[in-house]
Amino acid sequence: MILVNLISLFLLYYLKKSSGPQGFPAHLHRYFKYGMIAAAVLIALGVAAAPPVILFQLLSFVLVGGIIYLILNTPELQYQRALAITPLPIVGVQLLDYLIKTLSPGIHEVIENYLDAAGFFALIWAVTMWLNHRKQMKEVEIERIISKEQERQLRSTAEQKIQLEMLVAERTSEILNQKEELQHALDHLRSTQEQLIQQEKLASLGQLTAGIAHEIKNPLNFVNNFSELSVDFLQEIGEEMPKIADSPEKENILDLLENVKSNLEKIRHHGSRADSIVKSMLMHSRGGTGSLEPTDLNGLIREYSNLAFHGMRANPNPINVDIQLALDETLPKVRLNAEDFSRVILNLVKNAFDAMRDKISVSGSEYHAKVQIRTKEQGDDVLIEVEDNGPGVPEQIRDKLLMPFFTTKKGTEGTGLGLSITHDIIKSHEGTLEIISEEGKFTIFRILIPKSTE
Amino acid sequence: MKILFVDDERDVEALFRQKFRKEIKSGELELAFAFSGKEALEILGAENPPKFVYVFSDINMPGMSGLQLLEEIKSRFPMMRVSMISAYGDSENYDKAISSGAKGFFTKPVDFERLKEEIAALNEGS
Ligand SMILES: [Mg+2]
Repeated sequence: MILVNLISLFLLYYLKKSSGPQGFPAHLHRYFKYGMIAAAVLIALGVAAAPPVILFQLLSFVLVGGIIYLILNTPELQYQRALAITPLPIVGVQLLDYLIKTLSPGIHEVIENYLDAAGFFALIWAVTMWLNHRKQMKEVEIERIISKEQERQLRSTAEQKIQLEMLVAERTSEILNQKEELQHALDHLRSTQEQLIQQEKLASLGQLTAGIAHEIKNPLNFVNNFSELSVDFLQEIGEEMPKIADSPEKENILDLLENVKSNLEKIRHHGSRADSIVKSMLMHSRGGTGSLEPTDLNGLIREYSNLAFHGMRANPNPINVDIQLALDETLPKVRLNAEDFSRVILNLVKNAFDAMRDKISVSGSEYHAKVQIRTKEQGDDVLIEVEDNGPGVPEQIRDKLLMPFFTTKKGTEGTGLGLSITHDIIKSHEGTLEIISEEGKFTIFRILIPKSTE
Repeated sequence: MKILFVDDERDVEALFRQKFRKEIKSGELELAFAFSGKEALEILGAENPPKFVYVFSDINMPGMSGLQLLEEIKSRFPMMRVSMISAYGDSENYDKAISSGAKGFFTKPVDFERLKEEIAALNEGS
């Protein structure tokens, strides 16, 4: 009967040891503990053969039965089911042996040999089962370890994946930023390139213009000089003529000479027109401007608007015009190339006069020509506005107005370079020129130049 | 008083002869014309010392330029007065001319009043 208790002890010990890392609930451990104590007590009683032997033997069967029952009916011990059936034949044979011995010792003696044989086979069975169970348990353990390892790998893979994703997102945003920066740089480069091409074109156009202007200047000088001389000679001829006796031939000669004189004057007039165009072209293409000096802009405006006015009055087709200056007297000195910038004021004011002259010839005496010139500090810039209440500039030619050789003036007036030169000068001061106009009402030339152009 | 004009434009001769018509007629001035630097040096070298009192030279000419001619004249006839007449009135030409010994610098179109004054001053000086 000691065998049954040893089995109980072994089972409990084994179960306790096999609890694994997750552990069993506390009550199971309590069962194992008390079971082991009970088995040890029963073994001790068995060795001592303390009476009543039958009761203790019965208790031994109850204990092992309880343990097997526990294994089979506890979910946490499901995986140990094979363990439960391992000792079953031994316990069965022992139980049979016990029952027969207790109930009918006579029969027991007859079949004792068979029972011993059955006990032997039950032992073999138990050992086999046990070894099998051990093997299975090892496999289970290996599987458990593998699956744990896989799970761990999976977890770490997931973690790595998240880290990688974060890294990728980080890099992506960095790359996107870089792409944006590059795009920005590229755009900048492109616009710079375009500007350079434009400047290059303008520069070569400027050189070409200067070359042409110089080449034209020489023959033009001859035209002007010879026509001037000839007019002088005709003057002298006129002085000599009265000394010759009158005759119809003389009359005819005088008549023809008068025509020649008028022709020469026309040659001279158109020659000087061409000359002023050539001079403007040379001015236009002149590379680099003079130095910028702190200048009293208001003073410059007063002087040159006045000059433009008196120039206009002294020339053919003077008009009556009211010039109003609204100058900001708190304006600081502005860094200007005064010589160049005076041309801006002259050109714009003259331009306004010419525009208003056209309107006068259309509208008549109802219309009062007026030019307003304003200056104002505006942030880092100085604002200069020249406004006339002339005919305005039609939208479709507003862009073209600043192009060289574009002119709205008829025939022989204007070279078509005035506004183009004006624009160039403003640009050389790092300023801007904007044209605001309403047809039939007004035109404003709005100039912004930085206060401290270096 | 003999004056030499140097210019590659042949019409310069007609223009100047007409402009100084009265002075030439009265015998006050005698004008000579050369159409290249080489020709100018030949004319000047024909007599020694040259009878010319003043040379007016263009700058832009094929072959020898007016500035080269200026240097040549100044090295051969240091006392000769030379002035430049050029369409290119930029400071580079001007500085070069003056530093090479030019007496004056005239820009085209020529201001004949100034030119006549320059020549008249010559007369008073001599
Ligand atoms: Mg020439």
